[in-house]
Amino acid sequence: MRVATDVGGTFTDLVCIDDDGIRITKSDTTPPNFEKGVIRVLEKADIDPARIDDFVHGTTVVINALLSRRGAKTGLITTRGFRDVLEIARGNRPDLFNFAFKKPAPFVPRYLRHEITERMDYLGRVVEPLALDEVDSIVAALKAEEVEAVAICCLHAYVNPEHELAIEARVRELWPDVSIIASHKVCGEWREYERTSTAVLSAYVHPIAKGYLASLDEKLTARGLSGKPLIMRSNGGVATVEGARNDPISMVESGPASGVLGAAALGVQIGEPNLIALDIGGTTAKTALIENGAAKITTSYKIEWDRTNPGYPIRTPVVDLVEIGNGGGSIAWVDKGGRMHVGPQSAGSQPGPAAYGRGGEHITTTDANLVLGRINPKLFLGGEQEPDWDSIDRAFEPLIEALGETKEDIARGVIGIANANMVNALKLVSLNRGYDPREFALIAFGGGGAMHAVALAEELMTPKVIIPVNSSVFSAWGMLMCDLRRDFLKTEVKTLNAGAADDIEAAYEAMEAQARETCLAEGMPADAMRIERFADMRYAGQEHTVKVPTPHKRLDDAALQELTKAFHALHMREYTFQLDSDVELVNFHIVVFADIDKKQLPPLPVTGRALSEAQKGVRKVDFGADGVHDTNEYDLSLIEPGMKIAGPAVLEDPTATIVISPGKRAHMDDYGNIHIQMRAS
Amino acid sequence: MIEHKSDKFSQEIIKNALVAIGDEMFEAMARSSMSPIIYEVLDYSVGLTTKDGDLIAQGNGTTVFLGMIDALVKEIIEKFGAKGEIKPGDVFISNDPYYGTHLSDVALAKPIFFEGALVGFAVNKAHWVDVGGMTPGSFTPASTEIYQEGLQIPTMKVMEEGKVLQPVLDLIAANIRMPKESLGDFWAGVAANNVGAERLVMLYEKYGADAMAAAMEGLLDYGEAMIAEELKKLPKGVFEAEDWIDDDGQGEDPLRVCVRIEISDDSFKVDFTGSAPQALGPINHGRTALVAAVRTIFKALTNPQIPSNGGCFRALEIVCPDRTVFTAERPAPVSTYWETMLYAEDLIWKAMAEHLPDRLTAGHVLSVCAFILSATHPETGDDVILVQPLVGGWGAMSDRDGLNGQFSVADGETYNIPVEIQEARYGVRVKQYALHNEDGGEGKFRGGKGVYLDYEILCDQAHFSGSFGRFKFPPWGAAGGAKGSSNYVELIRQDGSEDAREIYGKPSRVQMKKGDIVRCVTATGGGWGDPCERSEEALEDDLKNGFITEEQAARFYRRRPAAE
Repeated sequence: MRVATDVGGTFTDLVCIDDDGIRITKSDTTPPNFEKGVIRVLEKADIDPARIDDFVHGTTVVINALLSRRGAKTGLITTRGFRDVLEIARGNRPDLFNFAFKKPAPFVPRYLRHEITERMDYLGRVVEPLALDEVDSIVAALKAEEVEAVAICCLHAYVNPEHELAIEARVRELWPDVSIIASHKVCGEWREYERTSTAVLSAYVHPIAKGYLASLDEKLTARGLSGKPLIMRSNGGVATVEGARNDPISMVESGPASGVLGAAALGVQIGEPNLIALDIGGTTAKTALIENGAAKITTSYKIEWDRTNPGYPIRTPVVDLVEIGNGGGSIAWVDKGGRMHVGPQSAGSQPGPAAYGRGGEHITTTDANLVLGRINPKLFLGGEQEPDWDSIDRAFEPLIEALGETKEDIARGVIGIANANMVNALKLVSLNRGYDPREFALIAFGGGGAMHAVALAEELMTPKVIIPVNSSVFSAWGMLMCDLRRDFLKTEVKTLNAGAADDIEAAYEAMEAQARETCLAEGMPADAMRIERFADMRYAGQEHTVKVPTPHKRLDDAALQELTKAFHALHMREYTFQLDSDVELVNFHIVVFADIDKKQLPPLPVTGRALSEAQKGVRKVDFGADGVHDTNEYDLSLIEPGMKIAGPAVLEDPTATIVISPGKRAHMDDYGNIHIQMRAS
Repeated sequence: MIEHKSDKFSQEIIKNALVAIGDEMFEAMARSSMSPIIYEVLDYSVGLTTKDGDLIAQGNGTTVFLGMIDALVKEIIEKFGAKGEIKPGDVFISNDPYYGTHLSDVALAKPIFFEGALVGFAVNKAHWVDVGGMTPGSFTPASTEIYQEGLQIPTMKVMEEGKVLQPVLDLIAANIRMPKESLGDFWAGVAANNVGAERLVMLYEKYGADAMAAAMEGLLDYGEAMIAEELKKLPKGVFEAEDWIDDDGQGEDPLRVCVRIEISDDSFKVDFTGSAPQALGPINHGRTALVAAVRTIFKALTNPQIPSNGGCFRALEIVCPDRTVFTAERPAPVSTYWETMLYAEDLIWKAMAEHLPDRLTAGHVLSVCAFILSATHPETGDDVILVQPLVGGWGAMSDRDGLNGQFSVADGETYNIPVEIQEARYGVRVKQYALHNEDGGEGKFRGGKGVYLDYEILCDQAHFSGSFGRFKFPPWGAAGGAKGSSNYVELIRQDGSEDAREIYGKPSRVQMKKGDIVRCVTATGGGWGDPCERSEEALEDDLKNGFITEEQAARFYRRRPAAE
């Protein structure tokens, strides 16, 4: 039996696969002791932990600690002359015309940032030896301030980590129980601010993550779990508990990552390797591109970053996704110039959309979907509550007054604007990076994915939409499709000229040997390990790089030429031109996988039921420009593989609503996924 | 699919799509550029205009280009449009500083056609690391005529109907010091414009020419309406300020500049009459830069957040006589234009700060503090030119301390170059990058801290030039707060050959030898409110964090040292 639990903002989801098929269960999330909710959802699903072969877990404990500033009191040890790097940051001010700008405060205040005498040059040669004895007084000062975690970042440590290692060892010796993060262990790339920030934020969340993982492990073991839990990471793989503890920041975006990886895995199983994945939740929508069954990974991740805030960089491998402030709870509002906007403010779950009747005074995307008949009032909130129509009407009044339009027109406008915002995000991951959406299928999940997908696909011109089975808990399901994975990146600039191959091969091999050692120590099974190579490449003189998959074979001059060719082509696709300048390899990137024996999605049974038996009735649904139509309502739980449905139609159960506009045709595949063809042919 | 029958909604959707195009052009440019001044510092701007040259969407790295994109397009229309010489596949190039900033900023514009008709322009303007002239890096405090500041490229075609005019590129390449980087940046600019043009055409295909034309016009009206709403809330009446520019780099005398602002319910009129005549040294700028400066502060005073377009500035009226430092004409030198352009903003800022305490701070670092370090890389032997602006302190506000180590308002989404990259690429050694606690900026709320950035020269010989305005006249304090500290450069000779401290505001080709240290120092911002009113808690925090010394606490804040 394989079980995944995904701790979300509101619910803790559970997905279980065994020989009997799939089971899903939801339970409330229980901050701040999230592990309680995990135990509770196991109990609610009536699962005996002793029968579980693999237990995969995704948690928001890291991102919550960061966003709510509830991490540990953290100190920093850094090269003499550079303690203010963390505070100066990059000096940028995205809110260009705001002269009352507020710069984000550093996670470590100045008095806890200590300098130590030492210096490397950019080639990793020691310019000034390390004054190791200075560590003693620094530790004493940090102890006196009751610091709980220490980050270490020395200039050029990505080239030569000797000094960081020596400082780390000495701190450990003096202070065995403090959390310590040395920058080169969590980020092997250059740029001292970004590496310092990554180390500091890692240290900041380390005590909490460590405590949480220990508590979870202990509670599960006490209930009979024989193995160790596997922990979801932002890179789309899972980690052992040990691995997650060493690099806790790697869990920062685990939820979105598992959804994308689930989409990739599902795509491979059903023969759709090229997908644009879209996850619409309550507050935000997230989208990522999957090419040939693989999602892209980036280390240019930031938290709290937006148009007005520079945020904080965390250079940990994260699935490359775009997130925007548009979800079911996004609020519609009118500005002083008379324009309507949707989001990024969200009504959340408290007070929630106006329809909840809990005091929500604003119209949200969900309310507009209700007014247009897309959401079935009888199935609202899982069928547990009627929408509060009076509350909706009250919330519409100010919009009607400001815009002079009818309720229905405004509702159409809300959906139109929300969809357009999402289409812009979908274009960012596809068109903007040189991919033609017409060569991809749109796979949509999360609470709102199924409802908006067809309209979005139309605008984006993707030929097909896929709504996966159990789409509302798809992220948890995705965790069961992930292998063990750890990424290692290291900046080392090499020009790809003739004769460079041996050097480059040696660098990869050295990295791989070290990576294997780390992974073994963290409990990855040696016999299942496999390694993939990537190279971040650029034209000499450029800064930003393009990630190129590298053949995993001994690199010789011919292989380098191939690699260079692949780089030219990728650069052409992303930036519309190529140059005949020298090509450089900037970051060596290797990925260690250990494959997990995953259960495939089991086929759904077919009883031979007629489609008419799944039909519940007919209701009026507003499809915008396609008009208002009498629309067949189907019970999604009664739809069987092979059934064909013609739009206009709505397929629904208490967790999902699939809206199919007139002229579109849908069918269910063997596993319960709904495929919607956007073109007649 | 939802068609957007109501204009109100489709205009919002098209507006968001246009903003997304600006973002995409911006990113395309940064990611394919060859020069840190573009890919790290983001000293460039991209945008779209209507076919008549009205700004529709702009993606900015800095604020200085606001309003320059449209000025360039209007010039193209005037020069080529009348003769019917604007054709699909054309690309125009220009660095005419009197329509912009200085020769280093090179603009590329691509006309966009839909169904055979001109519908708009995609434009970008970016700082090239060198455009020739008397000094590597091209900008210099020493020039007295435009001809010394580099190659002048009047607005002309560089591509014609899709074909590169190679002789033009060859001529440019032959006249600049880093042709490889700059031509790389040229292609990055072409690519960014292509992206903008392609996406705009897609919007036209989707919504049709009529709806797009209506949406663009609606956008301009919307910008006007949003600003008008805020304009009503500004204090009304006449506001004045004066200030002094250090000098012009040629003489020692300060230059007086002043502004008179008249705000009514529906107009915002600024008058710079009485400001110094155009100078011999390169601190001048043309009228276009004045317009950009005033637009920037006007946006800050009214609505900083809405996307900029031509409609936002309809209520603005700018008066300034010809041939002042703000309205210089050919052949006046302009290569360190920012020193003066920022004063145009700062004068209005200073006049309004205490009247709009929730929008404005006390005086900030102001100068871009840009420098050029030309050296030889000790490992590779290559000639290198390091060009970058510096972060400094911002002024305090009525309710909080100023920001530490932040780029001047001239910049924006501008990034400092990481020390690790500077050392690898330029072969210098950075000895410290730290906030300093020189005197200045005391107040109930204190000014943000400036920085020390020390470079050790590792090659036999190097040269340093730069322009650090507010060397003699530090940032102003507000409501009784103290003025900030000065921007300056100090050279520390390894051989001790100079007795006195060697300090500069406008160092020009200063020679340095191996082991010498050049210390770049940026200002601490002005304080707000009487220092005696600073809370005990804040002072203790300052002492604990080393932002002030015990001695400064006693001297400026009348704080008695803690009893032993």
